[in-house]
Amino acid sequence: MVWALVMAGVTLGLLVVRDRLDKAHVTLVYLLVVLAGTVGGGRTLGLALAGAAFLLFNWFFLPPFNTFVINDPFDWLVLLAFLVVSATAAQMLHRLRAEADVARRRAAEVDRFAALGAEALKVGRAEEAVTAVAEVIRQTLGLNDCRIHTREAVAAGGPAPDSLVTWSAAHGWAAMRQADGTTRLTESGEPPLGRLHDAVALYLPLTVQSRILGVLELIGGSPIVLSPAQQRFLVALTHYAALAVERTRLEAEAGRVEVLREADRIKDALLASVSHDLRTPLTTIKALAHEMSGDDDRAMTIEEEADRLNRLVADLLDLTRLKGGAFTLAVEINAVDDLIGALLQRVSGALGNRELRVGLQDGGTLLLGRFDLSQSLRILVNLVENAHKYSLPGERIDLTVAREGERLTFALADRGPGVPAAQWERIFEPFYRGPGALPETGGTGLGLAIARQLARLQGGDLTHAPRPAGGTIFTLTLPAADLPVPTPAS
Amino acid sequence: MLVIDDEIQIRRALRNAFADTGATVLEAGTARQGIDLAAAERPDLIILDLGLPDAPGAEVCREIRSWSTSPILVLSARHSDEEKVRLLDAGADDYVTKPFSTSELQARARALLRRTQGTGAGGASRIEIGGLVLDLAARSLTRDGEAVHLTPIEWDLLREMMTNAGRVLTHRHLFTHVWRGRQFGNASQYLRVYVAHLRRKIEGDSLRPRYIVTEPGVGYRFATAAESGARD
Repeated sequence: MVWALVMAGVTLGLLVVRDRLDKAHVTLVYLLVVLAGTVGGGRTLGLALAGAAFLLFNWFFLPPFNTFVINDPFDWLVLLAFLVVSATAAQMLHRLRAEADVARRRAAEVDRFAALGAEALKVGRAEEAVTAVAEVIRQTLGLNDCRIHTREAVAAGGPAPDSLVTWSAAHGWAAMRQADGTTRLTESGEPPLGRLHDAVALYLPLTVQSRILGVLELIGGSPIVLSPAQQRFLVALTHYAALAVERTRLEAEAGRVEVLREADRIKDALLASVSHDLRTPLTTIKALAHEMSGDDDRAMTIEEEADRLNRLVADLLDLTRLKGGAFTLAVEINAVDDLIGALLQRVSGALGNRELRVGLQDGGTLLLGRFDLSQSLRILVNLVENAHKYSLPGERIDLTVAREGERLTFALADRGPGVPAAQWERIFEPFYRGPGALPETGGTGLGLAIARQLARLQGGDLTHAPRPAGGTIFTLTLPAADLPVPTPAS
Repeated sequence: MLVIDDEIQIRRALRNAFADTGATVLEAGTARQGIDLAAAERPDLIILDLGLPDAPGAEVCREIRSWSTSPILVLSARHSDEEKVRLLDAGADDYVTKPFSTSELQARARALLRRTQGTGAGGASRIEIGGLVLDLAARSLTRDGEAVHLTPIEWDLLREMMTNAGRVLTHRHLFTHVWRGRQFGNASQYLRVYVAHLRRKIEGDSLRPRYIVTEPGVGYRFATAAESGARD
């Protein structure tokens, strides 16, 4: 309507000065109107204006005036040329505009993605990022509501989630609810977004590397219609939403790990302080008992029991550290001579007049191994003390050391009652006690459990076998080592 | 002697333990007080508890050691080898873990006192321990009267150990004193091998050493004359 008035006005204006105008002036003015119309109202308006201009030009400005009759055949040419030029120009202008529109929409899409990425990244807490992403989706697609449900929240049965949310989270498939209340389920993660029928609510699973992380819930006030661009946008958006959810999950996990680490640190500090704070009063108890020992033989029992308590606590702490992987070893190249020498020195008091006979494989060669000397010594001391405890007085204990390939074996044989076959493995369990052992043997019941763990931690093992002629053989294996032995001048 | 410990009960127990020896026992409850007393009184022996409230034990050791030669016996509730090595390297002479037995502590204290009061370690050119006679001037060793041939490294190792008889020498101490200025690869591995060879030359039974005692995880200690004689 506006354009009809414009056209009339222009025509009137031109009519006023018709006598002084050339045909070219008129065509150019009309062309201008056609182009302006195309820009303002699109291709149809442009073409209509071109048709009207054609008729008006013919009627008012081509002699004879006020008829559609044309005298000069050249005027026909001018008229026709005007029509073709204006129609083509309108058409071309329209196409240009359409392309510009597409480009503008693409740019807007990119802007929205950028905004979404920024939202997802800049928000401090991951949960807020999820909410921010949902809000961007809602605004972009013009929806009533958009929510992101994490799988954990769905599993935990959060604030009454839609049954389709639960279903989608469980199967990883999309679902939609239609205006009439019926539901449609798809057997894949991606619904036919182009044919949404009358869906008023859409449920899209969020997956990363085929793991279901959550569900994207889209709710429209009226049936949701998505243009191809919006469909593309939505597919990309679900990936963003999935990443946001994944970030929440990772953040929560990092928090949990931090809590665990803190708990571990507190536990270590507690263990250290328990052992320290317990030993100080034990020292006083032992010292006081020693002072009294001249008058009362019960004082000696107090000292022994204090020692036993100390051993029990130390063993419990060590077992905890060994199981927790917090035990540090000083594994280096060591000579078997050192180990056996230290063993004989350590146990000589406890053994009394019992014989511990050591057999070294061809006594001349120096046996070397890669182990922690202190802890290996502890294993052997424990084995010798056990053998001593379970053997009758006067029975010999044999320790045979040999190198077998890449391993050193320390076989300790006693002539005691042996271990019943049913309990061969149980003896390595914490707090196991042999059936023959009396409670007052002074042990903690943790020795063998600790010894085996220590052996394995050093790359060796501790095993048990019955001795053919009665008794038991415990075999400790440790990694052997070689060194280019510096030859001593002889 | 000087006892530095923040626990009154332990100070009391130590005072009683050394009362019969006729020794004068000085007491300090903090590191600062202990260091001041050690400087003023020049005690023959310092017993130092590591759990002091005002300073870490290794620091106290190092400070006292920087101007005093008095033997330091450390009491610690921590049992790890690294802790022992750290304290010995900081200048402690011996190490007893809590809870200790009074008799053991008395024996260690006696050994430390005997070592510093005896003449052995000073400027003597001849050290005699058990059947071993080390002549520093002549660079010779005899075992029960018979000459024993030693390689240069074995000689340095034995000399370092015998001049410090009774003292625990950490692996690190031995490397720095024996391998100083020598070309070596990983001396920490060879040290054990040299000790093993040395034992075979001077010990009757290298599995039951009279002289070179292994201190597991820490180092070696050469027996004192009294010990090596008594164990025979």
